[in-house]
Amino acid sequence: MESLWSKLSAALPINEEQFPLQFSDKVESSVVEMLTRSRHQLYSTTRSNNQTLYAQVVLDISWERLNTGTWRDVDKDWRRLYSYGCLFKVAALCRESPSEHEILQAVRTCDMGLLMGAAVMDNILQVFVRILQSEIRKTTKEETDYVEAKMSLKMKCHTFSKRMKIVVPRVPPIKEELAVERIKCPSLESFNTKYLVPLKPVILEGIIDHWPALNNRPWSLEYLRSVAGCRTVPVEVGSRYTDEDWSQTLLTINEFIDKYILEKVQDSQSGERAVGYLAQHQLFDQIPELKEDIRIPDYCCLGEGDEDDITVNAWFGPTGTVSPLHQDPQQNFLAQVVGSKYVRLYSPEDTDKLYPHQSQLLHNTSQVEVENPDSERFPKFVRAPYLECVLQPGDVLFIPVKHWHYVRSLDVSFSVSFWWS
Amino acid sequence: MSWFGFGFNAFGQICVQEKSVQEETSDAVGEVKVSVPVELRSHVDHSCCLKTCQIRASWSRRACLHESRCVWLAGFSASSISNDTRGCRDAIISESHLTLAFPDRIESWDVQRKDKTPLWSMEIIPQSESSGIWIFECTEHQKITTNMLLHVFCHFHTGVNLPLVPGGYIASKPPIFRSLAPHLQAKSLALGGDHVILLTAPGAVYSWGLGSHGQLGHGGLVSEEEPRTVEALWGVPMSSVAAGGWHSVCISEGGDLYVWGWNESGQLGLPSRGLQKAPQQKKAQPTELSDVSTPEEEPHDGDKHEEVFISIQAFPALLDVNPSSDFQRASCGSRHTAAVTTSGCLFTWGWGEYGQLGHQTFNSLDEPRRVEFFKAKDLHVVDVVCGPWNTFTAAVKKGVLDLKNT
Repeated sequence: MESLWSKLSAALPINEEQFPLQFSDKVESSVVEMLTRSRHQLYSTTRSNNQTLYAQVVLDISWERLNTGTWRDVDKDWRRLYSYGCLFKVAALCRESPSEHEILQAVRTCDMGLLMGAAVMDNILQVFVRILQSEIRKTTKEETDYVEAKMSLKMKCHTFSKRMKIVVPRVPPIKEELAVERIKCPSLESFNTKYLVPLKPVILEGIIDHWPALNNRPWSLEYLRSVAGCRTVPVEVGSRYTDEDWSQTLLTINEFIDKYILEKVQDSQSGERAVGYLAQHQLFDQIPELKEDIRIPDYCCLGEGDEDDITVNAWFGPTGTVSPLHQDPQQNFLAQVVGSKYVRLYSPEDTDKLYPHQSQLLHNTSQVEVENPDSERFPKFVRAPYLECVLQPGDVLFIPVKHWHYVRSLDVSFSVSFWWS
Repeated sequence: MSWFGFGFNAFGQICVQEKSVQEETSDAVGEVKVSVPVELRSHVDHSCCLKTCQIRASWSRRACLHESRCVWLAGFSASSISNDTRGCRDAIISESHLTLAFPDRIESWDVQRKDKTPLWSMEIIPQSESSGIWIFECTEHQKITTNMLLHVFCHFHTGVNLPLVPGGYIASKPPIFRSLAPHLQAKSLALGGDHVILLTAPGAVYSWGLGSHGQLGHGGLVSEEEPRTVEALWGVPMSSVAAGGWHSVCISEGGDLYVWGWNESGQLGLPSRGLQKAPQQKKAQPTELSDVSTPEEEPHDGDKHEEVFISIQAFPALLDVNPSSDFQRASCGSRHTAAVTTSGCLFTWGWGEYGQLGHQTFNSLDEPRRVEFFKAKDLHVVDVVCGPWNTFTAAVKKGVLDLKNT
């Protein structure tokens, strides 16, 4: 039986000389020296009582550089450096018969590198995390079988906590004259002529029925846990991103499901359930296994961009997640996989009635609370015409570029969005 | 007077530990992280650095300014740097540059290469020490993008005060020289990670640069290209300023300490969400999302109160220190702060992962704590200088101080 370490080291270069450490001048030689020492430790046969030390130094210095200036301006080399730090830390954690806790720490370290770093050595962190995950699955198979049975039950009977404030009706009735049009499997040409060119919203039915996520590998909480439960993801905490108490944190998918979907842990003193949302995250780049369960809609080929330029985001959360009314600079296919969502759409022509924020940061977001508008502060809003719909699993909503949209989840929901041009 | 150092030491910039060749399992942690303050020794003659009058530190190096007007370097490839530093009055060191101030010139060297000439230099025409006006020319040598020649009138202060230079200041990355308007009456300047704090002769504070973490103190997260007054401090004359990676500190003439910027490791001395609580206070289910509602269990306190955590302090806040003290000097590392009181105590707080707080642990702190090491050894701390991940303090024996005062 191959040890974990032998599997991991098989993915590494055979010796120190073959291990590349190339950086631009921006990375000071003292920092490269730290990396060199880490690399030396990796291939050294002498045991050091603290192998994670140099790796941690690399992580700490690159973390500081990553947080200097604006994210956009961060030199790619600092992100690569961070990934190297993660690599060395994982190696140090898994060198000598690691415990399950250490393996989980190693998975988390890989994820931090995938989230914040830049791919190095043919995306070695992705290779590492796959090896580590299979190690975990071996040990926790029995546990999961038992928990799965309990969880599928919980997902079926979702109840409201009495403490939750219900401000709006649970499932808003859709007025027929305001409903977004629906069409089943239109031809490319038909979609292009009737909806893309005139920039008209529409719900496409039947176009994702072939997705494994809706077919042979149906997405459920149990499935997500089994494929990616120990993986760390960014979670938004707070009712909406325009609120003062909104923040982002990192959780494993297991922790996120326990805390925010199944509400196992109460941490809010006031008794109100905090909303957590795995939102706008390129989950499928981080977890390729899930990418296998979805497909890029054919209609995206009607755009001018490359397939590589299409941004695919995951949106996974409990009931009541709200995306405030906002607009995006690209075309959007919003595919509903699990659960349902209420969506309202406003045309860019009516922007003057939607009171966007003045600040640079939020100028694409409206100040108005769509389902509870302040008519004194925003008098024109009630006169703005709109379309609305409830998305069910299997629906794909076409949101034309710059179209204002507001989204509220009506139960545990998983959507996938495709931003294309 | 002796200098002590503690914190990050991976390059031997605090001390080089004697290691026997046979020893395979060396105390790797102890080498890299110095948690107990160590007296600095000169590399020249292995005696105590009695003649060192000032220390400057970058991430991987330490520069000592000697009374003999020489600069000695310790740390990463220090021995390969062979500048003639005789007559040097002041120095500052960043990870990439070493800047030296001589009576007649200022030079900036690329510390990663073995150039024969400085990357940038500036001539100063010396005037008599009592004169009020300096006139000088500034020219730039090789590799600088802008070419400038300027004549500036400015007030002369006793001694050079890097990074301030006549007409402006020396930045940590190119362009090396940045000009400053004379009307600002620059008295001292602190370079932060990506921001600058300026103290003027009348005691006002200006800030500019990156504002993303509130480090400018103007109340928002907006960056500033030009010096802007920190209005919240208007009316309180300040006597010194310091800047860290993403935070800023200043001390008033009355000895009060003001802090602002990022508090992710408690470097502001305000409650920080991210910090581990001491074992006895740890609750059964610690969560990463310790939020506003986690109450501290105080035995004497009857009612539950909400603890407010501060992640970013965008306006200056007056720091309450226990026991109440008058501060005379402060310095900031990338994520920690150290301050000296008029009574000779050293307080530290913030990120402590490398032992840079000097409390003989690797814990971070979100409230100022006195460094007991100096008190226990009857040492009166007179100065403190922080590198990004370490701290250096100058101290004298209390007995010596008393003698001097009689």
